[in-house]
Amino acid sequence: MNAIEAKHLSKAFGTRKAVDDVTFALPEGAFLSIFGPNGAGKTTLLRVLSTLDRPSGGEAFVSGADIKEHPDTVRERIGLISHQPMLYPDLTAEENLLLYAQLYGVEDAQGRVDQLLQAVGLAHRKLDLTRTFSRGMTQRLSIARALVHDPAVVFLDEPYSGLDPHAVDIFDELIEAQRDERTFVMVSHDLEKGFHTCTHALVLARGRIVAFAPKNELDFDEFSQLYHETVGMGVA
Amino acid sequence: MADSKKVKLPEAGQWPDRMLVPALALGALLTTTGFLLAFFWVAPVNGAKLSEPVMVGDVTVTHVQLLSQKIFYFHMPVAIVSFVALAFAAYYGLRFLTTRQQRFDTCGRVAMEITLLFVVFTMATGDLWTRFEWGVWWTWDPRLTTYLILMLIVIAYFVLRNAVDDPQRRATYASVLSILAFVDVPICFMITRVIPSSVHPVVAREGGMSPEMAITVTVVMVGMMLVAFGLYRLRFRQARLAERVEALKEQIEER
Amino acid sequence: MARVPITKPSTFAQYATLLKKDLRREFRTREMLTSMGIYALLVIIVYGAALALTVRDLDIVRMSGGLLWALIVFTSLLGLGRSFAHEKEQGCLEGVLLVPLDRSVVFLAKATSSFLFMLAVEVVAVPLFFFFFMTTAAPAPTLGLIVVPLFVGTLGMAGIGTMLSTITMNTRARDVMLAVLFIPIVFPLLYACVTATTAAIVGADPWTDFFVMPLVLAGGYDIVMLLVCWVLYDFVVSA
Repeated sequence: MNAIEAKHLSKAFGTRKAVDDVTFALPEGAFLSIFGPNGAGKTTLLRVLSTLDRPSGGEAFVSGADIKEHPDTVRERIGLISHQPMLYPDLTAEENLLLYAQLYGVEDAQGRVDQLLQAVGLAHRKLDLTRTFSRGMTQRLSIARALVHDPAVVFLDEPYSGLDPHAVDIFDELIEAQRDERTFVMVSHDLEKGFHTCTHALVLARGRIVAFAPKNELDFDEFSQLYHETVGMGVA
Repeated sequence: MADSKKVKLPEAGQWPDRMLVPALALGALLTTTGFLLAFFWVAPVNGAKLSEPVMVGDVTVTHVQLLSQKIFYFHMPVAIVSFVALAFAAYYGLRFLTTRQQRFDTCGRVAMEITLLFVVFTMATGDLWTRFEWGVWWTWDPRLTTYLILMLIVIAYFVLRNAVDDPQRRATYASVLSILAFVDVPICFMITRVIPSSVHPVVAREGGMSPEMAITVTVVMVGMMLVAFGLYRLRFRQARLAERVEALKEQIEER
Repeated sequence: MARVPITKPSTFAQYATLLKKDLRREFRTREMLTSMGIYALLVIIVYGAALALTVRDLDIVRMSGGLLWALIVFTSLLGLGRSFAHEKEQGCLEGVLLVPLDRSVVFLAKATSSFLFMLAVEVVAVPLFFFFFMTTAAPAPTLGLIVVPLFVGTLGMAGIGTMLSTITMNTRARDVMLAVLFIPIVFPLLYACVTATTAAIVGADPWTDFFVMPLVLAGGYDIVMLLVCWVLYDFVVSA
């Protein structure tokens, strides 16, 4: 089964098309990196796939569920890590995770939260308000938040923004540890990094797919050239 | 790019646009007729008794026959048209929320503009009425209050539109607000009307209309409806053409 | 690794979780309660200055209903404007919207918490108002009944206010925007509640016309408006 299947997916308002006729299929367990210049529709595509925005045309299935017909089923199966942590600064790390665990209906909420806090290395800070956390710690807790209901597909929206190199390494390690169990879709500016981690690459420009291919069919230099041509197009 | 896909432009100039000129002309004609009828045909309703009869023109007048009552023939139709326009705005709001088509947002916005125009007319004529009939510039009479609130909500609608950048979000919020306004206004009228105010008693002024009055009001009302429709289509066409220009510009930029 | 077992919680359980979260935040920071409480006190002080010369000759009993509601409207406006501030701060609202839950649950939870905070402030502000202005006045024996219009009015304002502050949270100049939308829309409710409150303080006659009728209308307003908000909330919060 494919983790994500998009058919002629579009998101338009009036004549302005943020996502235009996007069709691709991503196998389960893959790591997709979405590249593109600013305003290419990367974030919109991610928001449509994660049911935060409704598509205006076409259809898409995430982990087998139709995003238009059964958004709640999709929501059960996805997690989103964005540059915004989506954590309440005035709740402790533990309370934040428990809140989400209870909303999702995780049966052993406390157990799951403890396990996740351990996994992201924040067990010793679980009683501290997240307001007091550094950016890197917040982003680690954000990973725990997105994984609390054990989603099959995880979306990453510019997850590195604001992280220092050390925090980026820790972040990568944590994601790396999850790759066997889940499908990942990442939107990133960092071409080299995004290309290095992915199994599939997708380039968007003005809402349309310019290129979509498994990485083993691509050469980084060629890819980089293609990308820069696209970006140049976007600027012009 | 070798993409030759045809971009769908916002359509404009459908059949109602052909009705535009006749509607406006007929509306103007009817309104003018109503105006003449109001002044030359309908007998003035008697006001206060004068101390001694006076000659006005060739007629002996024994009562104050305030010309201000002629305002009524415009005030009431204008008020009703403004509420009808609001109903349309709410209807288009509902259509937008269910279809998410920009077209309905434009419809709703234009209908709201017409509402604002006619609400301002209503307030102006109503205020003249208040001044001449009751001798005060303002009273918290149910109708006046309701229309003041309606005017504030309609103004708030446009302030809100200006304060949101994302077009889709703006359209959604505007649609929701137009529906809220449409629900709120009748409740407002009912509450201000039913609850007795100790400062100003509820003014029950119409004791039914004479046939001439009814005919005149109807003529003016139909005229005003047609004018409102004409203005609506005119403005709508303009808005749609502007959207078309935007779309074409984008298309050219893409080449 | 074995999949984490999940049972979809009931709508009510999700509502309770969200409400508990709001209450816990508030008891920890006391952000809304203190700011609303201080604001209410400040409005009372402004009243003190505004009425300084007239308070002896003026029929304060007849005016108190209106003054009280002016106090409540402005205080509520302040609280409602802040009710979504912390949801927006770190994108938490989106985090909640990613959870499979009915959007109206978000509305109900937020409206409930705002309602409770507003009530809590009224519990302090109303006695304060009476302490400062009404100790020499002689209100009617029906005075205690003002809790009914206070309850009905606060309920409607919390509902409409939650809806409108969800809208204004994403606008420029959001505090002004909230007032511009809130006051006209809430006007009928305010009108009815002021009448009923004044009737209770004065002991108006006929009682049905001045107390019961306005309350019935205010209750009707609450029901209609809460239903409309409940239905439309999905569109607003997902926009």
